[in-house]
Amino acid sequence: MKIDRDEARRIANLAHLEFDDAGLDRMAGEMTKILSYIDQLREVDTTGFEESSDAQSTPMRADEPRPSLDREAVARNAPSWSDGFFVVPKVIGD
Amino acid sequence: MTDLLDLPFHDARAQASPREYVDACLAAIKRHDQNVCAFLTVTENPSEGTLPIALKDNIVTTDMPTTCGSRILGKFQSPYDATVAARLRARGASIIGKTNLDEFAMGSSTEHSSIGPTRNPWDTKRVPGGSSGGSAAAVASRMVPAALGSETGGSVRQPAALCGVVGVKPTYGRVSRWGLVAFASGLDQIGIVTKSVRESAEVLGIIAGHDPYDSTSSATEVDDYTADLDAGIRGMRFGVIREAVEQLEGEVRANFDAALAVLRSCGATVEEVSVPTIGYAIAIYYIVANAEASANLSRFDGIRYGHRSERAKKLDDVYFESRGEGFGAEVKRRIMLGTFALSSGYYDAYYGRAQRVRAKMRHDFETAFGNYDFLLTPTTPESAFEIGAKTNDPLSMYLNDIFTAPANLIGIPAIAVPSGFDSRDLPLSLQIMAPHFGERAMFRAAAAFERETNYWKRRPPLK
Repeated sequence: MKIDRDEARRIANLAHLEFDDAGLDRMAGEMTKILSYIDQLREVDTTGFEESSDAQSTPMRADEPRPSLDREAVARNAPSWSDGFFVVPKVIGD
Repeated sequence: MTDLLDLPFHDARAQASPREYVDACLAAIKRHDQNVCAFLTVTENPSEGTLPIALKDNIVTTDMPTTCGSRILGKFQSPYDATVAARLRARGASIIGKTNLDEFAMGSSTEHSSIGPTRNPWDTKRVPGGSSGGSAAAVASRMVPAALGSETGGSVRQPAALCGVVGVKPTYGRVSRWGLVAFASGLDQIGIVTKSVRESAEVLGIIAGHDPYDSTSSATEVDDYTADLDAGIRGMRFGVIREAVEQLEGEVRANFDAALAVLRSCGATVEEVSVPTIGYAIAIYYIVANAEASANLSRFDGIRYGHRSERAKKLDDVYFESRGEGFGAEVKRRIMLGTFALSSGYYDAYYGRAQRVRAKMRHDFETAFGNYDFLLTPTTPESAFEIGAKTNDPLSMYLNDIFTAPANLIGIPAIAVPSGFDSRDLPLSLQIMAPHFGERAMFRAAAAFERETNYWKRRPPLK
């Protein structure tokens, strides 16, 4: 699988990661090399084996109220906080 | 006089008060850590404790920062203690400090820490392994008797092997992960580093068990992991995984063969067994782990905690620029690979296929465990490599986990036990894998091997 700069840019946008063009080119090269190693999985006959995971057997817990984190403790870690809210830049319009 | 920290902690605490024991650790850290760089934080006000212990810095505590070795966590300080930290404290442990790691536990050398590399106490020009390299180096250099790490593909066993100490990865679900910063939730498990097998068995007894805060933690009863340590292995059956060891050469081969001879001399049966899919473990791992990581690390968005870019003018900028500035190269590489593997058009060819091969590998292991009590490989394909040797070749770094990753992919417990030294005096290690929840027997086998070899008593040549 060959990853070029445009494909790397598409993935970076999905992943919310900032790269410059040189960074994208380097990433594309490294991903191509790693994915060509991973492509050896194609030679395995997986007939009769399903895509499954251990997580499927995770039991559910009862949905009961319990104390949550103290608001002040949460605020201490926030980059920007005001009146009980996380503050972010303007989302709509200029 | 024997140094307190050369003793297993159950012997040391008979010879010193809890205060003296903790002070001995702090003095050792002051003496050695400028060369080893195992600690990111050392507590200023340690509690007295019969068990001084260090935690990998992706396990949260209220009294110290948690960095994950990353810039993106900024000045994060957890509002709660991880379950393992709370259980340790409740049993008289004193948390001495937080240890260095590859950023978000992604790496095999601890060179991918944003704070700087940890050094191998046996040769400070070499890596300690990773990602729990700080924990392994701290125990190996006798700065603390025990440390916790975390495992996703071998991140406790591999550094334990490279540092000449015992490393344990428990069964998936055996230890609560509440308060362990998530990397790949279907694989992650908290693990243990100590000098000797008995110490690891004791620590597991403290931290194991169901936790209502982690629904993936198992309700399976916690065994007495120390009960059979002296019972020996006469008549037990060990399978040597043929496909893993047929490529071995040189000193690693000779050391592994010598380890098998020790097991035979204890009365065990040692035979080759085939696990045909084991060679695909790294390929599976780098799809499955990175796919999960790309989802787990989406929480680092510059909004609720951690680093926010000062350049950001719009909301989208906050995400892109905070993550661009906060994550290091290896973490970005893995998020990119994982995002690719889950993206539309590639999901089945990569993630789906990796999961199907994983299911086949699980089946191969179950078949092998039908005939054998334990499965064996060396823990790593080589001894510690030099700092910088693999940083420009991610794939060769990944292949260091080739023998350890299978246990994570199928969820079984495994232990790395020191098996001697190569001609450069660097440690080598034997890996013993056991079936799900087979920790008690696993410790028994490891203790039998340790009793015959006693490599753990040798300490690294730090000044």
